[in-house]
Amino acid sequence: MATDADLRAQTRQALTATTFLQIVDTLVGDFDVIDVLTGLTSRCIELLGAAAAGILLVDATGHLRVIGASTEQIELLELFQIQNDDGPCLDCFRSGRVVIDDNMGMTSRWPGFAVESIRVGYPSVCAVPLRLKDLTIGCLNLFMSEPVALSEGDVALAQALADVATIAIIQDQATRDAVVREGQLQHALTSRIAIEQAKGMIAERAGVDMDAAFLRLRTYARHHNLGLTDVAESLVAGRLQVGALSNVRRIPPPPQPGR
Amino acid sequence: MAREVAQSRTSRLCTACVDVLAVSGAGITLMGGDQAGPICVSDSGIAALEDLQFTMGEGPCRDAFSTGRSVHAPRFDDVTLARWPSFVDLARTSGIGAVFAYPLKSPGSNIGVLTLYQHDAGGLTDAQHDDSVAIAEVLTETVLSLQDAAPPGALAGALDEAVAYRAQIHQASGMVAIQLEIPVADALVRIRGHAFATGVPIGKVAGDIVARRLRLGDDRSGPSDRDITHGN
Repeated sequence: MATDADLRAQTRQALTATTFLQIVDTLVGDFDVIDVLTGLTSRCIELLGAAAAGILLVDATGHLRVIGASTEQIELLELFQIQNDDGPCLDCFRSGRVVIDDNMGMTSRWPGFAVESIRVGYPSVCAVPLRLKDLTIGCLNLFMSEPVALSEGDVALAQALADVATIAIIQDQATRDAVVREGQLQHALTSRIAIEQAKGMIAERAGVDMDAAFLRLRTYARHHNLGLTDVAESLVAGRLQVGALSNVRRIPPPPQPGR
Repeated sequence: MAREVAQSRTSRLCTACVDVLAVSGAGITLMGGDQAGPICVSDSGIAALEDLQFTMGEGPCRDAFSTGRSVHAPRFDDVTLARWPSFVDLARTSGIGAVFAYPLKSPGSNIGVLTLYQHDAGGLTDAQHDDSVAIAEVLTETVLSLQDAAPPGALAGALDEAVAYRAQIHQASGMVAIQLEIPVADALVRIRGHAFATGVPIGKVAGDIVARRLRLGDDRSGPSDRDITHGN
């Protein structure tokens, strides 16, 4: 016969498995990083003995930002650490290691943070890095309402959840970067082709050769303060008539200083 | 044209593919929408085969690009002949017996194709296939890295060959668009149609249009616009 403890263990096991599956699911298909991380903070509270949780993530400029927090108070606590450049989450992010203080007091390593955390009801804190190999991209912070430490098992589970979330985030960023780079390549390629096509259009309309056509294209672009590719693409798309470039030869050169 | 390509800064990429994969020839083509251009080919025979695929809009390169999967034609049989009639015809007369195409895959879309040519019929070994997949990945990263270094909006100098190689085709498209008062994309279709109908390579047709030796007629019925005037 199953005892209450057995049932609780089974429920927790099922919830843990579901949480992993949900995070892994995000690896295949479109997902929002913020959604994933906000979901992760809620799951940490359900699964672990934490009363609240928050997540910090490093941005492109190397600064930490609050990405998810289970309560408004936690968001303020996280911001407090970033602003004061001091606290368990920053230590965790910099070292890439788990940082634990289960009974913050006056002797705490972070006296300023300890006072704030205790004031809002969290005397115990555990910060887990979001880390893949040597790369730490942020940290997951767990706050407890009693001055007791999380069990070793809970810390290990928190780290496992953080690891899976990290892979999801890195995968997402790699995909975004690739799509942006690819778009830049495609745009540069089609722009370059448009210039050749526009040269042909101008050459035909004005009865000049390709070099003269290019000169007209460039003169028109400069005179109208437009990019060469903008003018070329407008011509090819029919937004600009070739006739508009037929008289550009008569445009005088820009005045020289001192004349 | 092949001469220009062989001297391009990216030409060593093709040489490396031929050496590493132990194949007879290779071509690397960049694709931008419907437009394509090789950034390098290993020899002029390959250039003609890559050119033909662009002219006809058929061939293993096109298929690999549109499907995002590698295309394997270890021998030219009735099936491949039905699939790419013009390509197989030219490949046979060029002494090519097998062809394989690998897309340069990127998460959003494919950016080009690596095409491998063999003189003799026969499939690639498993090792050659695995290496080709790996090399296609490296080439994708190489091309994207080259472009990363370019000024915003401009095409990287090393990749410019993809356009410069076919510059006259694009210029001719612009001219025909004005002559026939049709969109540039349609003008390219007309030039391709003319090249197909006359059996003249598209590069030659474009060169004649740019030199004003050839003017495509306004007759929409097709091959009757063969009013070649051998002036100059």
